[in-house]
Amino acid sequence: MNIIVCIKQVPDPEGPPGSYVINPALNRVEARGIPPVLSLFDENALEAALRIKDTLTHDEVKITVMSMGTRISGAVLQKALAAGADELVKIEDGALESATLDSHATASALASAIRKKGKYDLIFTGRQAADWNAGQVGIGIARFLGIPAVTLAGKVTIKDGHAVVERVTPRGYEVVRTPLPSLIAVSNEVGALRYPTMMQRREAKHKPVTSWSTADIGLYGNPETRLVVKGFFVREMRQGRCEIIEGDTAATAGLNLAQRLMHDGVISP
Amino acid sequence: MSEGAVTVLVELTEEKGIEPVSRECLAMAGKIAGACGTKLAAVVMGNAIGDAAGEVSRYDIDTVYTLDHPLLECYESELYEAAFLQFYTIARPCGILMGHTLLSIDLAPRIAFALGTSLVTDCTGFEYGAEGLCFIKPVYSGNIYASLLIRGEPFMATIRLKSEEPALPSQKRHVEIVRVPVELDRTGAAIEVLERVVGENRGADLQSADIVVAGGRGIGSAEGFELLKNLAGMLGGAVGASRPPCDLGWVSPAIQVGQTGGIVSPSVYIAVGISGSMQHIAGMAGAKTVVAVNKDPAATIFKIADYGVVGDFREVMPAFTGAIRDRRKGGTTQGNRT
Repeated sequence: MNIIVCIKQVPDPEGPPGSYVINPALNRVEARGIPPVLSLFDENALEAALRIKDTLTHDEVKITVMSMGTRISGAVLQKALAAGADELVKIEDGALESATLDSHATASALASAIRKKGKYDLIFTGRQAADWNAGQVGIGIARFLGIPAVTLAGKVTIKDGHAVVERVTPRGYEVVRTPLPSLIAVSNEVGALRYPTMMQRREAKHKPVTSWSTADIGLYGNPETRLVVKGFFVREMRQGRCEIIEGDTAATAGLNLAQRLMHDGVISP
Repeated sequence: MSEGAVTVLVELTEEKGIEPVSRECLAMAGKIAGACGTKLAAVVMGNAIGDAAGEVSRYDIDTVYTLDHPLLECYESELYEAAFLQFYTIARPCGILMGHTLLSIDLAPRIAFALGTSLVTDCTGFEYGAEGLCFIKPVYSGNIYASLLIRGEPFMATIRLKSEEPALPSQKRHVEIVRVPVELDRTGAAIEVLERVVGENRGADLQSADIVVAGGRGIGSAEGFELLKNLAGMLGGAVGASRPPCDLGWVSPAIQVGQTGGIVSPSVYIAVGISGSMQHIAGMAGAKTVVAVNKDPAATIFKIADYGVVGDFREVMPAFTGAIRDRRKGGTTQGNRT
């Protein structure tokens, strides 16, 4: 079984406020002082693929991670190989600057790369990327490849040549069955990406890495986009006006906090 | 822009009432229609939804379209997409708004790709200027907003809950109800629903809760969350969490608050052992009052909180909870207090 997991590198969304700066000249947002990481839901997507590999012991499962962009960090993608992916395909090109690509262009380019890769039974993506949170690329890839897409996956197993997916719903979850090949967009309910051992980290350095340019996947010129960024602006989320409630001990401070909140009508007594 | 109406997909609750976020969409779509000089319509999808369509027709809109079919009883990706595209062919809306919900997260991109147009998801507003209609959405964990122009028709956007005052019923114009003939069967559907399971996803309770007690990495364990559950239970609130406790398996990912989890806007948000990453703050910045308990005085959460205690939550929270419980007990036994 061949599984392709699309992963994206983003500035760490767990970074402190003020980590992002608007560059008006280039009309884009730049991260300052925070490292790139794998987008959160893409880590969940890789974990979903690895769990299938764990359970399908009678079948050889090959996991290819695929990443697209400019200036892709080797260290970030090594993590995916160390966690258990078998190979990495990078599509790296100046024309693939994530800040200037919309979901349509991204999905179209990834679908071209997947077609070039050829054999696949399952394609995983995260439900949305942690920078723009658009949540459209998975469905777009499936549309361009002409295969079914299942979103909001909380658990994925393989049974009788189908993928069985637990989808998150407003009241719980539903179990759906989709034929192979299908695309599955994964939510964090799948669970966090496993932590690689030292041995796996070392082995990861020897795993195959392929680099493609846009020409390799049949793209020429800048991809067509349908969304235009007209501008960015900052809106302060909240004012800082915190009143620290003191106390001789932490417990007294807790007591004082309760009394203060009831006094101020924040919590009804 | 085409002649068609700005159209809202109105989602129904279990009881076939109108989802609050859909009422917000009606309000926002009304403003957009006013700015663009187009009509305003709503579309309702489901099975036996005559009453719901009547309810929607009480709002200040021009047309209510109903897509009423037994196979639309529950949401299924391919069936809903097929039905919506049949509606599109008949009504030709100039724009489509949906609430940013678990349904539209799946449906809206399908429609956008099928129609070859573009979609802005999770918007909090719009602006209409010389260049046309732009939708505004938070990006990069929340305090930067992007204004995005859609090339292509119809324009499409999903709207985040609590972005707009919900519309109220008002009979200003004559509302036409149009029943769209829907032809559906399962033969073309690849995805089959085997089972629907109710429960365990407490995200919905969290979103509507007036008080949220949330824990972060500082809570340290699943057991630590019991303290927060006690407090939330006593206050009639819900328990939330930042990302680390969900990743570490201490609590269900369904209760994650943040840009990459659920967005909450309660009256009171009590953040315990949460340092305050940007993406977490993006999920709770709409709270009226924020209370922070953290042993690190330099934690970012204090920068956005209204009240704070610096200290170990294991000592602070039992005393805090106890003080409220005692006061409430005292209040009932003493009767009239002045």
